[in-house]
Amino acid sequence: MSHDMHRYLTDPFQEITELGDGLFRLNIGPQHPISGQGRFLVITDGEIVYDIEVDIGYSHRGIEKILEYKNYVQAVVPLERMVMLDTSNILMGFVRAVEDLYGVEPPPRAKYIRTIINELNRISSHLYALGLFAESAGWNPAIFIWTTADREPILDLLEMITGARWSHSFFIPGGVRADLPRGIKERILNTMDYLEKRFEVYEDAWIYNETFRLRTEGVGVLPRDKAIEWGAAGPSLRASGVAYDTRKNEPYSAYPELDFKIVTHTAGDSYARGWVRFEEMKVSVDIIRQAIENMPEGPVKKTLPPRPVKQEALARAETGRGEINFYIYTEGRDKPYRVKISPASFRNFFVIEQLPKIQEIKLADVPPMIYSFDPWFLDADR
Amino acid sequence: MLDWILEFVKTNFQPLFRIIIFPGLTFLFVFTIFAVWFQRKYLARLMMRMGPVHAGKVLGWLQLVADALKLIAKEIILPKYAYKKLFLFSAITLPVIPAAAIALIPFGPNFAIFNLPGYTAPLFLGIMSLYPIFIILMGWSSNNKFTLIGAFRTIYLDVAGEIPIFLAVLGVMLWAGTYDLQTIVEMQKNMWFVIPQFLGFIVFFISYFAMIEKAPMDIPEAETELVFGYRTEYTGALFLDTMMGDYVNVLAWSLLMITLYFGGYHGPQVFPDPILNGAFWILIKLIIILTITFTVIISYARLRIDQAIRLGWYYLIPLALANIVLTVILKSLGV
Repeated sequence: MSHDMHRYLTDPFQEITELGDGLFRLNIGPQHPISGQGRFLVITDGEIVYDIEVDIGYSHRGIEKILEYKNYVQAVVPLERMVMLDTSNILMGFVRAVEDLYGVEPPPRAKYIRTIINELNRISSHLYALGLFAESAGWNPAIFIWTTADREPILDLLEMITGARWSHSFFIPGGVRADLPRGIKERILNTMDYLEKRFEVYEDAWIYNETFRLRTEGVGVLPRDKAIEWGAAGPSLRASGVAYDTRKNEPYSAYPELDFKIVTHTAGDSYARGWVRFEEMKVSVDIIRQAIENMPEGPVKKTLPPRPVKQEALARAETGRGEINFYIYTEGRDKPYRVKISPASFRNFFVIEQLPKIQEIKLADVPPMIYSFDPWFLDADR
Repeated sequence: MLDWILEFVKTNFQPLFRIIIFPGLTFLFVFTIFAVWFQRKYLARLMMRMGPVHAGKVLGWLQLVADALKLIAKEIILPKYAYKKLFLFSAITLPVIPAAAIALIPFGPNFAIFNLPGYTAPLFLGIMSLYPIFIILMGWSSNNKFTLIGAFRTIYLDVAGEIPIFLAVLGVMLWAGTYDLQTIVEMQKNMWFVIPQFLGFIVFFISYFAMIEKAPMDIPEAETELVFGYRTEYTGALFLDTMMGDYVNVLAWSLLMITLYFGGYHGPQVFPDPILNGAFWILIKLIIILTITFTVIISYARLRIDQAIRLGWYYLIPLALANIVLTVILKSLGV
């Protein structure tokens, strides 16, 4: 799989010239309604897309290097900046790796609190992703604003539990920072009821809407074998019929004690990826209900021993965009020697680049195809 | 007092009054501002938000004025490689086209800006068919890839939308037996043509969204793909001008729909004066049509260009032809 990096990046003044044979090079980004903090170079012949190149690195902050100068508790804060929508799920992988390094098992109540916060964050991340997905399919911002409005009660809950709406810094190696506040359980359950009501509205108005299906069904089909070969991650992988979810395949936190299913779809197209996200939100609501019901009593954090018991650790967690991997190597000090992060968006960007090679994609299909993967440039750049 | 003023204006200044006040320039300008404000408030409510609230104490009614002033005060940037004469000319001329077509719409008995007896319906369509040409000129003269693709899409969409809408209007003209919009409205005194021409109305209503280039058929300016389509390069007052053209276009097609299918200015007696009464009812109908249009705009995702063309050629044109055949059969049976 020889991948010719930077095929079209050589000549910046090529912008206004054609590539020959009537081909256009469209710069979708970094200033474009759909691009985000990156760039898609799209080679088109009018409406037919021949090639897509993803140009990442516009928001590289060197998080891996920063982590080498922080101890394991300080590291939590810069690490969260990878995906602000999904902070606790990103953090989960790191915290697991550090706990493995020190040989510490968090108390059971901390595990349940982590699960609740992870799932709340997953719902909020999926809502945002689906809103952008609907908008990329040419919807007026109606759906995006609906989903943004419905994230508010979740963010309120997170603020009550952790003290911050987005960057909670709530998980620390060895447990969570604080116990749940009083009266939060009823509040969470009420919010879950509200969300389930809203999901019904979404199904009527949006998920099964005729024009939405016309625009997204059969667009950017990712076959099962290619999804595995190219390393698609998260809901994008499950939409191609692969039942792989880190919460189930390598259970962590309270997930082994809870009963839930992996949502899969067989079509592998953009609609299937959106549908998997939508159904996963319902599963998350179910998980939160179970976690609240089975929550044990007890302490919520443990102190780390002074020295790590291992030299290296590898851990993973399921984020909203797919599996994140953390590899930590240490020389026995309170800071890591090297942290390697393998985020999900990076792998999904590679899949986006490959898709035009196996099927015909039209220019109008590019935004829904890209947003069905829920790509996050900040996640890929690190 | 009101009667006296109306009488005085009608006898002395009627032609000038029609052109400058109602239904001419002032009305068009004020109603366009109202339509934009109404769209923003109404869509905001459907999106669970408030819309503009700050400028103007009541419902943010001054927001549009503030926006217009801001746009006029901005610098007009001419792209370096644009064909500048055409770039300016096409944008400035754009609102004139649908405004010229509105001159033929009767707002009361024998009360249009341009009271032309005879072929007004074909003339209306003829003038409106110039509108896409100016959009294509805008897209081409900007010398930008996004605007050029937007212009190409306008050509495709025009083929898919204009033919069915013309065939639907032909159905109405056959049913009425006249080309004259004034006569068509007079014939709807007892029964609106939406009932005998229901098939034609469906074709008209779907193609209407292609002609006004709004969602689900806002394909030429598709924001997520083409930034802002053919008007990406326009700034400041020129951008305001293109937006004005857009809304006057919506107004022109909505007025044609009311004239052909919803009885034009006919309605129950509210004001004693027939012209005032007609203007009142046409405004009420216009607001209802706009409300329906905005509701559709927010309820659907944008079609792809090939899907829009397929809709036009596979479904709308056969349906419009079937409507014409049905009309001819009904007419020959003497219904």
